[in-house]
Amino acid sequence: MSVENMEEVEVLEAQIELLQAEVEALQRQQQDNQKDMTFQFRGQMHDAVASVCGLGPGGGKERVLSRLKEEVEEMEEDLRQQTQMNGISLTSCTAKTLQSSGRKVVQQLCVSGRCSELDFQVEFKLSELTTDQRSQRTISDLNVVLDSSDLQNFSSFVSSVEESRDLLLFFRTLRTFSDRCDDRCRTFQHFQQKYPSVVSLPGGCRSEVMALSHAELSGCVLFVHWSVEVSREGGVTPKIELLTKIPDEALQLFPSRPVGGATEAFQSLLRILGAEAAIESIIRAISLQQDV
Amino acid sequence: MEAASTKGVLSHLSLLEVQARSRRSRPQQQSRVTELKAKVEALKVQKEQLEAEIQTHQNLQKLRSSLDKQCADEDDVEMEEDSENSELLRLMARHTQLKDLLHAHHLIGGYDVIKTRQGKGVCVSLATAYEGVYLDTYNLEIDLKPAVRISRHNIPPFIPVNSLAKENNMQTHMRAFLDALSQHLNAFAGRKQELKLLKEQHKSVEVMESNVLCSILVLMFTVPKEKTAVLCTLDYIDHSSCLPKRVHLECEDKQLPDSPQWKKNCSLLMETPVHTALTAMRKVGDIV
Repeated sequence: MSVENMEEVEVLEAQIELLQAEVEALQRQQQDNQKDMTFQFRGQMHDAVASVCGLGPGGGKERVLSRLKEEVEEMEEDLRQQTQMNGISLTSCTAKTLQSSGRKVVQQLCVSGRCSELDFQVEFKLSELTTDQRSQRTISDLNVVLDSSDLQNFSSFVSSVEESRDLLLFFRTLRTFSDRCDDRCRTFQHFQQKYPSVVSLPGGCRSEVMALSHAELSGCVLFVHWSVEVSREGGVTPKIELLTKIPDEALQLFPSRPVGGATEAFQSLLRILGAEAAIESIIRAISLQQDV
Repeated sequence: MEAASTKGVLSHLSLLEVQARSRRSRPQQQSRVTELKAKVEALKVQKEQLEAEIQTHQNLQKLRSSLDKQCADEDDVEMEEDSENSELLRLMARHTQLKDLLHAHHLIGGYDVIKTRQGKGVCVSLATAYEGVYLDTYNLEIDLKPAVRISRHNIPPFIPVNSLAKENNMQTHMRAFLDALSQHLNAFAGRKQELKLLKEQHKSVEVMESNVLCSILVLMFTVPKEKTAVLCTLDYIDHSSCLPKRVHLECEDKQLPDSPQWKKNCSLLMETPVHTALTAMRKVGDIV
């Protein structure tokens, strides 16, 4: 072998060593990136990355673009379906990988969204442990934030959910709670439209209170107080009460049961007729309508 | 003549061999250099490719976080300057976001609905979990047309799927039905898991009887000092709950069930999962 050749070989070998080191460093950086970005690129996304990097397969950018567009549209449709079926609309989900070593992957997730009129944000750690083809997923460090003003009744439930890390229960209860609140809102609106001269909603249709009054009965107001209670275990129950505001003079004139015992009487009506019919009968009473 | 020609052939052959050998060794040197050069080229290409991929990653990450912010603020922020790949990159960023959102729906116990038979039916999944640990997932296939009807499922027969469907009016209130079913399945999964944890954590407590629905549990405790046995029956009358509605004690010592301490234990068993209640009872020395 000639001296010239030997020299060339040495130069090349040094160059290779340098390049290998650089490539390794880049590979490490790429792995770190993939850890942070929770998604791994497969299928159309893989082709798209290749295309952006100028390594696309035959067919060119146009085809990659249209295929990815198709896939994204399918996913949008899928998301619409899940949102509709679950009654929960998710606005953001960010994941950060905290640990990724062979069989165990730990991620920190933050999911926020809205259920009817309720905004929420949940944060938790998700560990996935793979052992002989089975994978065990576990949630820990659950933290729930609810953004709403009148949610004192939710607080003991939220703390019990955080303790038991029961994400599924939380969302099931949140949904039931929202459904019951929507029922109330619909009922309030229905009565306000049907009896506009009697029914008013001082706190808006989503509040707990509906006020009933009549022009000829000035000073007398009945309040339907309809709250939705959430137990520590996640049970959701509506609680409807009738409160009265009647001037003292009127009470002195009619000390008898019809006025004073209205609250208790309403509870029996509720039991017998159900919420809507009971409220309607009260409204008709205060409207001074004659039952024909 | 023959001999000479033979010799001539042999010598010619050996000459050819020497020539071939020397020819081969020279290209060998040459090929070592080309080989190395090729390797350098390959590594350069690999490096460029990695750099491009990392750059793409960074661009995607940037786009994705601006997408996430947009969603949160409902604010239309103008994207960065348009390059030839900007549309593709935007699509890719949305792809990653959609993937994460769909994953989140799955994690929070979403029903993972899939349309079947051109929209005439759906497949739904019901996840179960206990204390943060995801357990079995059950599936239902529901016909929507011509009528709403459960066509197939893999839910255990002792879960009253059909009566839950009727009670919750599945025809019009699909979600109410699924919520109720999910509650039942999660309660069942929870009771099963509690029994498993009980057996693992409390070897000194004997499980005398239990059923597949895990709605009846008969346990035998031993009171440390007197060594008397206490038979405890937990009755989970409400099948949609992980807590028993009735706790009954039986003991040779007729006074024991009525003692304040054991009355307290009974209410503890009705308010906390059985395995944690037993840990508390063992701590204060009521059971071995």
